[in-house]
Amino acid sequence: MGIRQGKPQGKGTTALAEWKLALLSRRRFLLSLAGGSLLALFPLPRGSAAERQGDKETEVDTWGLLGAVQERLFPTELSAPGAREINALGYLRGMLEGNHLPQEDAQFILQGAGWLQALSLERTGKSFLMLNGDEQDTLLRQIEASEAGENWMSTVILYIFEALLTDPAYGGNPDGIGWRWLAHTPGFPRPPADKLFWRLG
Amino acid sequence: MSRDYDVCVIGSGAGGGPVAWTLAKAGFSVLVLEKGPWLREEDFYKDELACCRRAVYTPDLKDEQHVIEEGDDEGGWQATPTSVSGWNFWNGNMVGGASNLMSGYFHRLKPEDFRLLSEFGPIDGANVVDWPISYDELEPYYAKVERVVGVSGRVVEHPNAEPRSTPDFPYPPTREHAISGWIDQACKDLGYHPLPVPRAVLSRPDHGRHSCSYSGYCGSYGCATGAKGSARAALLNEVVAEGNCQIRPHAKVHRLVSDARGRIVEAEYFDADGKNRKVSAELFVVACQPIESARLLLFSRGPKYPRGLGNRFGQIGRNLVFSAGGAGHGYLVYDDLPEERTKQLREVGPFVNRALHDWYFIDDPDLAPKNRRIKGGMVEFLFGHPNPVARAEQSKWRDGELLWGLPLKRRLESWFLEDRRLDFEVFNDWLPTDNCFVTLDGNTRDRWGTPVSKVRIGFHPHDLEVGRYLVAKGENVLRKMGARFISSGVSGAPPQNLVSGGCRFGVDPKTSALDRDCRVHDVDNLYVTDGSFMPTGGSVPQTWTIYANAFRVADRLVARLGGSKEKPA
Repeated sequence: MGIRQGKPQGKGTTALAEWKLALLSRRRFLLSLAGGSLLALFPLPRGSAAERQGDKETEVDTWGLLGAVQERLFPTELSAPGAREINALGYLRGMLEGNHLPQEDAQFILQGAGWLQALSLERTGKSFLMLNGDEQDTLLRQIEASEAGENWMSTVILYIFEALLTDPAYGGNPDGIGWRWLAHTPGFPRPPADKLFWRLG
Repeated sequence: MSRDYDVCVIGSGAGGGPVAWTLAKAGFSVLVLEKGPWLREEDFYKDELACCRRAVYTPDLKDEQHVIEEGDDEGGWQATPTSVSGWNFWNGNMVGGASNLMSGYFHRLKPEDFRLLSEFGPIDGANVVDWPISYDELEPYYAKVERVVGVSGRVVEHPNAEPRSTPDFPYPPTREHAISGWIDQACKDLGYHPLPVPRAVLSRPDHGRHSCSYSGYCGSYGCATGAKGSARAALLNEVVAEGNCQIRPHAKVHRLVSDARGRIVEAEYFDADGKNRKVSAELFVVACQPIESARLLLFSRGPKYPRGLGNRFGQIGRNLVFSAGGAGHGYLVYDDLPEERTKQLREVGPFVNRALHDWYFIDDPDLAPKNRRIKGGMVEFLFGHPNPVARAEQSKWRDGELLWGLPLKRRLESWFLEDRRLDFEVFNDWLPTDNCFVTLDGNTRDRWGTPVSKVRIGFHPHDLEVGRYLVAKGENVLRKMGARFISSGVSGAPPQNLVSGGCRFGVDPKTSALDRDCRVHDVDNLYVTDGSFMPTGGSVPQTWTIYANAFRVADRLVARLGGSKEKPA
């Protein structure tokens, strides 16, 4: 975002930037194979516990699960805010239900939640929400090992960062708690409620 | 035959604004058609989501996109629609165009930039030419931009300073950060000559606009004070208020209609409801940024123009150029510095405003073995962009591994709290070649059903050599300043916001698209006034030159229409 804009680049070593670009383009390649929809990347395994049972007990509480994942990815600490304190779940839900996320990301996040729940049932026989923190981490490490799973976690983290660091007017970062933690100075003027990005133009 | 307007300007940015301003001031009726919305100062906030994370200032790529052809490893070309790659080639679709979002680092070209071929000779594989005008012809218009758009700065002695008709800038420099002095010191120790960078940012209120509020968020953001010299704030607001200029936002021109004699009679556009509308004018001016201007001309076939307007010799869309170069950065670590300096370094708001033009021309046997002087470029210093979500996003990968949980949080603390990143960017000529051009894509259409632009973005290897030479100089400065973790890169991937050429001006219709007045060869009443006209792109951001040339062409249009109808003040 300097004067010279261009292809999105990772920070750090050049090798990292290239690695990241390769990853991005691989994801896009997969996306195009999937007929333009990431939904097709995460089919529920045929005959999976979720599909076999299909009763109320195994239905995914999508928002509960996403909230639990956010808290593992961005845990609460005494000295630093976590997903809960920055209202990461409320932020994500507001963006998603208001249709303010890129459609591809919205679909990817929801579908990945279903996928994680299915995996949890497969591997542990329990809903993700019934696992303790360590067990949840173990599952997350398992999905992280796949490229698609890592991309999904990375996407969930992106919207944790938005909840942490965008203007409180959008529902995250209450009272600037994220800005204070990272000593970030916001710019001014800040957006009032009637000038949120979807109300412009 | 009565016409709706004297002049119809298509596109409202740095290329269209000066034409609308000049013609309206001279008493002619002007209509500006702009594809995007009409956002005003009261719509601009320091909102990272609006500026940079959602498609607010640019179209959704599913609705409007480009197809980009990149070289593959086997000498072929791989075409990818930007809706698949996510590489957005739009730069700001709104009244005032991308000039709303620029950083406003303003540099003039130098006299030699107007005669690269005769000054430095040919380069194999590059279509280098001299311009049909000289620096002296454009200089009065560079000076006009300083006054009318508002450029702040101060003139200093410099080995490569370009000639000026006025002793100094009309506005004093914008407020500078303490680091500017540190850069000066490092450069002096190295024997370099740091230049204070002129900015298209008002340092004091004028023309009914406020001065800069130094919020620290300038580039990529719309300006809430009117200090930034966008075409909207500096030019269009004034002539709209005075009455001779009208702006129609949400008006997407898709075709220029020509008659049997070859004159443009109407512009056809889709309005906000998707309805096809027409407007007639005596003169038409196209300024949609080079890629879209070429697209409009190519698509506007007519009885006399079976290959597109002015495209008899296949010149429309050719010799597109970007800005070649690269970027680097280093980290000034707070713990390395005395407390006083740490405090200074943390300040957010004032500008860095330093550049090096020492190697605008390079006389170095290592780079040019035949002992020939070659064209170089410049190095510009700036702080790492403050957008916090973007910064956080960059922190989450370590050696290719995704961080999460407590390691991610420690990483964020380290990235935000321990240091400040100083960047430099390098600008050198993107040599025009036969591998960089715009055509219409045969498969992909926009939401109105019009074929999108296909852009081949090949570069000349010479660009990378010069870029690497300059990047090393930038690194020297960071090292001298005590920066850590210095890294840099030079790439042949174009910065999509620094684009020019595609309709180069020249004398010969067989090798150029426009004449010296930027009138399309073969088309009597059609002009192109954005950056398309540049046969070579120079080694600085192009905006000042685009503004200046558009003011120059605007004067020719006034003369053509019989001179100003307004009494001189």
